[in-house]
Amino acid sequence: MADSGGWRPPRPCETYRAEWEFCRSARHFLHHYYVHGKRPACEQWLRDLASCRDWEERRTAEAQRSLCESEQARVQAARKHTLVWALRQSPPADWHLPLPQEKDK
Amino acid sequence: MARAGDGRGPCSAAGEQPLNQQQQQQQGTSQVYPERLAEGRPQQGLFSRFLTHNQKCQLMLLKTLETNPYVKLLLDAMKHSGCAVNKERHFSCEDCNGNVSGGFDASSSQIVLCQNNICNQAHMNRVVTHELIHAFDHCRAHVNWFTNVRHLACSETCVRDRAILSILAVRNISKEVAEKAVDEVFESCFNDHEPFGRIPHNQTYARYAHRDFQNRDRYYSNI
Repeated sequence: MADSGGWRPPRPCETYRAEWEFCRSARHFLHHYYVHGKRPACEQWLRDLASCRDWEERRTAEAQRSLCESEQARVQAARKHTLVWALRQSPPADWHLPLPQEKDK
Repeated sequence: MARAGDGRGPCSAAGEQPLNQQQQQQQGTSQVYPERLAEGRPQQGLFSRFLTHNQKCQLMLLKTLETNPYVKLLLDAMKHSGCAVNKERHFSCEDCNGNVSGGFDASSSQIVLCQNNICNQAHMNRVVTHELIHAFDHCRAHVNWFTNVRHLACSETCVRDRAILSILAVRNISKEVAEKAVDEVFESCFNDHEPFGRIPHNQTYARYAHRDFQNRDRYYSNI
């Protein structure tokens, strides 16, 4: 996490508002309930929106801490499942090679 | 080499085929993609019979690549991963046997679009998105498409039953083996939303996902 000299919220504040509204929409609610069997939790987006606004107006350390913690928790949640396959270190070598029949032209 | 009859497919018949038939995908078998292994291109006389399907396929593909938010995000993500997509190199409009809509040929790094089975723009959008996901997985991971059913299951996972059907369409294995493969990988693969970061249920949310992807540098340097 960068120090507050160069730090800014990870997302623009409008994005937190858009995510909160999306989270609360009927379509998302229904789909989330269908998939997971429980209602979505949208409060954290609202808290993040408040922190973001707080940072914009008053540059408080508390707002920065809160946003960082929240986003780190999201990243951790997304990464907690072990991938089925091994990630590559570089793209496939033959991705850009000409097609086999074109090599003979 | 067997061809698709007189070149007609569902697009020549009245109306579009039911969605679940069109969504069947298959990967690189000679029975489905007769042109893939043909020794030469079709003769000039025969080729002119397919010209309309091919031209339509090319035009719809171009529109998808330029306007569809799911596809634009995938193209961005692939470029970022070192697999920039070139329309002429990585896409091929061909006639296919059966009801398949397209496939990803990992051996040639090419997406095959079945020009005789893709009838409208919405269908083209879905097929290109689906195949680009396979291409993306191939680009970022060591996916054993032909020898590891769990890997195949993972790339096809969105809804459990559809993943099972997709596997059965391309592998000669029993339903029980396919089900077991999907169940083993489901928890991990269902939650692997790369590169979208979420499951984009419609184009608005696909745009949100693209926005997040373009914002990733700012995001990861500030958390």
